[in-house]
Formats: sequence, C-alpha cells, structure tokens
Amino acid sequence: MCSGIFKYIVKGVLIMSDKSPLVSIDSRHGAAEDNYEKQSHFIGRITLSAGFLLSVLPPLMLWLVYGIFPPIKSLIEGIVSITVIMLPVSIVEVLTFAPMMGSAAMYLSYLTGNISNLKIPSAAISIEAASVQPSTRQGDIIATIAITGSVIASTLVLVLGFILIVPVSAYMENPAIKPAFEQILPALFGSIGAYYILKEWKLAVAPVIAAISLNLAGDLPTAITIPVCIAISVLAARFLHKRKLVKGADSVD
Amino acid sequence: MENYLNVANNWVFYVCAVVIILFVLFQACLFFMHAFREGLKCGLTRAQMYKAFRTGVLSSVIPSVAAVVALVAMVPVLGLPIPWVRQVIMGSTPYELMAAGIGAKSMGIDSLGGQGYTAQVFASSIWVMTLGSIWAVAIIVFLLKTIKKRYTRLSGDDPRWKQILVNASFLGVFSIFIAEPVTTGGIPLITLAAGGVFMIIFALVITKLKLDWLKEFALTFSMLGAMVCAAVFSNIL
Repeated sequence: MCSGIFKYIVKGVLIMSDKSPLVSIDSRHGAAEDNYEKQSHFIGRITLSAGFLLSVLPPLMLWLVYGIFPPIKSLIEGIVSITVIMLPVSIVEVLTFAPMMGSAAMYLSYLTGNISNLKIPSAAISIEAASVQPSTRQGDIIATIAITGSVIASTLVLVLGFILIVPVSAYMENPAIKPAFEQILPALFGSIGAYYILKEWKLAVAPVIAAISLNLAGDLPTAITIPVCIAISVLAARFLHKRKLVKGADSVD
Repeated sequence: MENYLNVANNWVFYVCAVVIILFVLFQACLFFMHAFREGLKCGLTRAQMYKAFRTGVLSSVIPSVAAVVALVAMVPVLGLPIPWVRQVIMGSTPYELMAAGIGAKSMGIDSLGGQGYTAQVFASSIWVMTLGSIWAVAIIVFLLKTIKKRYTRLSGDDPRWKQILVNASFLGVFSIFIAEPVTTGGIPLITLAAGGVFMIIFALVITKLKLDWLKEFALTFSMLGAMVCAAVFSNIL
C-alpha cells in the first residue's frame, strides 16, 4: 500500500513539474476528484476499523493474560447503559461535523477524538493561514493536512508527557503556573473566536447569544449544546445570506 | 485480593499502548501523503501545504498539554498505560471518566478507585470505555460515505453558501466554549478577553504590515499570551 502511495506522490510531482497548460490539469482534475474521495473512504474505513479493533487489545489482554473479566451480566448492563448515551450522541455528532470537514479529515478525527477542542480549531485556522476557502477541494485538503499535523503533534506531546509524567505533574502543581494550564480552553477559544468574529461578526451574533442563554439555562452536556448551537448558527446564517447581509468568501479582503 | 493497579500498570499494556500509538501515526502519515498528492494535482503549492501542516502542529501542542494534565488525574485510579492510550485514541477525558464510572456502577460500585474497586470492577470500567466508542466508529465506517453524498446534494450548488455554512458551523462550536467563561466570569473571562485582544492585535499587525508568515503563529502566540495573563492575574487577585 505504501509503495503505491509513493508512486502517486511521484506522479503528483511529475504533474506539477510538467509545464502542461492549466486547462489540461483542470480536465484531469475532474476524473481525479471522485478518485480522491473514493480512496479517502477506502483508507479511512480500513484504518478506522483496524484502529478500533486495536483499541480492544487492553481489555482483551486483561482477560487472556490475567483471566480478569467482569461478570457477564454486569458487563451487558454496562454496555447497554453506555449505548443508550453514546448511540444518539454519536449520530448527532457525526451529522454535525460531517459538513464541516472532508471525508479524510473525518476518519482522522474519529480515530483520535478531541474533535471540537483540537481538530476543528486546527482545521479552521489552517484554512485561514493557507488562504483557501472552506468547503472546496483545496480547503478540504488543507484541513486534512492540518489535522494530520494536529494528530502527530498531540500524540508526540502525550508520549513526551508520559516520559515526563512525574516531573510534569510536579511542575503543573506549581501555584504560579497552575492557573495558566487551567485556562487553556478560554485562551484557545478567546483567540480563535476573536479571529472569526473579526472576519464576519454578523455570523457570530446568533450562536454567541444562543450559547450564553443555553449556559444560563442550566448545566447541559456539550452533546446537546454543540448541535443546538450549530443549528441556530446555520439557520441565522441562512437568513443573513438570503438577505445578502454577509459577504461570503469572494469579496473578503 | 491482589491490588488491581499492579495489573493495570503491567508491561503488557504498555506494549498495547505502543502498538496503538504507532498505528495512529501510521494513519496520519497515510492521509498526509494521500492529501498532499491530491493537493499538488488541484493547484495547491507545497509551501501552502507545509504551512497547513505546521499550523496544525503549532495550534495543537498547547491544547494537548491539557490531555497530559487530565492523564495525571486518571493515573491513580486506572493506572498509567490504559488512560494514556485512551487519550491518544478516540478518548476525551469527560467521556472516559463517565464510561469508567458506568462500568463501575453496573457492578454496584459508586466511585472510581477506593473501597470495593476490585480488579473485576476495573475490567468492567475498561470494557465499557472501549466498547462505548463503537457507535461513533460504526456510523463513520458504514454511513459516512452516504451522509457525505446526501449533504452534497442538500447544500446545492451555491459555493458561497457552502462557505458561509462551514464558517457558521465553526462559530457554533466556538460559541459554546466562549459562553462558558462569559457566564463564569473571573479568571476564565479575563483569559478569554486577553486571547481575543491578542488575536486582534495580531490580525492588525498581519494586515497592516503584510506579515503573511505570522498567520500560522497567531493562534499559538495569542493563546500563550492569554495563558500568561491567566497566571499573572490569578497571582495578583
């Protein structure tokens, strides 16, 4: 599989260095488009299934090596309880995230998790940094590449953190530094939120008001609040778009 | 009864963890090459794509430290290797803790760790944590292709609307995390505001001075600035 992909890279390089007029690249692009999606699904389906099977290794080893296994009755009870929670949550989540990322990015995100606090911000900011538009082929590719960077970085941070776990945990307890690490999420979303509000503040009004009201209404889980907030945001955006009150990509800058 | 933590910290689970981590990196490399080659075909430059990769790396380092902090909290209850690998794949801390709790509860134990949390209860926690993720995986593996096609048909042929749709969805996610500190006030609100101010300064500098290279660092730098503010203000107040 790997050597096949190397071959594709070489082919890609050849197409780039080839001084063929743009038109011919474009016409090739039409056929390649479906191929890219098809291959994304193929690679994604295999790697995500394999990743899940690998994730069963630890409990399996606990059973096979140590003979420790919970009573089957309580295990079934536990599985039923988690299913009642996770099945609807997962359906809503997938439907929420699917239009925001390309297929390849979805398979990557679902193997490694932390989608709303790591993958979505990485995808959003990389689209800006590379000056491409979201929801285009180019935007999808940029977001996918950013997410591979995100996956590699956070895996390496966790490996480092594991090696340093004793010194790190002592360091984190330092009262001068501790508050900084408790405020990672406000720091992240204050920064990226400001960027998007600057970019198109009209789009931000409805979701921010909705999120604050939801928050005041009670301690709802994000599995409910995120989809509700996105739905409100999209409906408001539709309204603004119909009335031509938002600029849209073409006239930005 | 043997202390389950001796089992939980055994080398067998470290081997599992290493295998899984290598696999995660393998998938990332596979998709990187796949996307990179398609990017060259549809007119992206190498520089743009490397920039996207660096942006992804830079903007993830600090939030990932949060996962290490959460790991430190889970180790006394679930041992080191298993929470570690759960942080690398699929997991998010609230989910893992909830699932581990459900696993314990189904055996009549109300707390993680402590009295009555035997090796079997531990096994129950781990099985529930692992199998709870199957639904998201199954939906993606079996239905994502169909869902994607449906969405493409639904969103029609208006490229401008599609872009607004994505930006509005991003803002929907961000709003949730913005609302939290706004309603809490105090240090979280100061940090949120500081992040915003730093980002606005960066945006001004980037557009006025045409420092395009700064774009990929802007998020990381303003996060760091906001975190320094959090530390400074909570030591003053």
